Amino acid sequence: MKTKIYILLFSIIFSTNLFSQEQKMTDAEIASFKQDVNVVAKKIKTLSTDFVQYKHMDFLSKDIETSGKMIFKEPNLLQWQYKKPYNYSIVFKNGKILINDEGKKSAVDIGNSKIFGRINKLIVGSVSGNMFDDKEFAISYFKSKGQNIAKFIPKDATLKKYIKQIELTFDKEEATVVQVKLLESSEDYTRIVLKNKVINAKIDDSVFTN
Amino acid sequence: MQKSTIQFLLINCFLAIVLVSCGSVTKNYTPKKLDKTSYEIPYFAEPKTDYVYKTNITVYGHEMSGIFIAKKINDTTHRVVFTTEFGNKLFDFEISDTTFKVNSIVSELDKKILINTLKEDFRLLLKKEYLIQEQFENESDNIYKSADGNRDNYLFVSKKEQKLEKLVRSSKTKEKITITFTLENDIFAKKVVILHQNIKLRIELNYFKSE
Repeated sequence: MKTKIYILLFSIIFSTNLFSQEQKMTDAEIASFKQDVNVVAKKIKTLSTDFVQYKHMDFLSKDIETSGKMIFKEPNLLQWQYKKPYNYSIVFKNGKILINDEGKKSAVDIGNSKIFGRINKLIVGSVSGNMFDDKEFAISYFKSKGQNIAKFIPKDATLKKYIKQIELTFDKEEATVVQVKLLESSEDYTRIVLKNKVINAKIDDSVFTN
Repeated sequence: MQKSTIQFLLINCFLAIVLVSCGSVTKNYTPKKLDKTSYEIPYFAEPKTDYVYKTNITVYGHEMSGIFIAKKINDTTHRVVFTTEFGNKLFDFEISDTTFKVNSIVSELDKKILINTLKEDFRLLLKKEYLIQEQFENESDNIYKSADGNRDNYLFVSKKEQKLEKLVRSSKTKEKITITFTLENDIFAKKVVILHQNIKLRIELNYFKSE
């Protein structure tokens, strides 16, 4: 029993320590970080990555976990594909959104949907990390051990209603995004962890059909 | 003469249609002596369970999908949240037999008629205990009638399995909403379909286990 309490105490202290290690970047650090990310982002012609999505809501006992694969090809082809526990794939292509929901197909014109247009821009920006020039956000920069974190707060009132903040976590060495966190409120967020990232592999356009 | 015959036929047809559609919902069922005065539905009643369903909504030919989440947050109240597959919340309600609160809803869905429809559907779906006043039967089911203001709710409990498989909400004359349950076990529904008869709305919920 006593050991358990010690372990608990230790882990609490340890985890607070980890949190407190998140520090604001200096102006020089911000400049160099942005440059690193932009250099990498500019090189990205194609990108594919596995992802695990955790939907956290305070009233639930457990996060809702879904996972799949994301594929991006320049300039604006994007496929976001859930494979577990259900098959649901969404393709952004030529101003259209193509949805395949367990074999049931549908299409939406982004032209009619400002929100989807924004989502597209956000997803591509988030995954490639190239969001620093976005004038729609107030951005702040933090660093912790091995990672850099950029926090984006929407300026637009409509967007702000749905997204309180976006946090992109970057691997320090590779200057690529390893986690995207979308906060809806202080209690509820969606956390997407990216792994097995492959940059500039050959990806055929035909991948982006649904 | 011919004209009046046609008129007569038309009126007769009209009357026939009206009479048929005015027939009581229970006309095909045999009344039976009450064997219970209340019925408890366990499918959304466990406070520890996160009820998470992949959801497809068809409304007047339009398709919409997302994730439906329900959780009992205290003795009387459920929290009901609907999100996109990406996790964005589309609406967030708190609902009990007598209370209803909108925590949030996106502007595209913020329509009174839609909210009232969903409120009625979810209240029916999540209600734990129905008080029974009358009982009927057909070949396969015992049918319990529970009055609810100017509506009646009918609970169809299969004779074979002794499980609630269908819930019908109706006016005095017409079925309005039908909820069917496909069961995983005695206390859990793996699939739920909410079908409206008076508007073109169908909501299908399919349970999924998180990894």
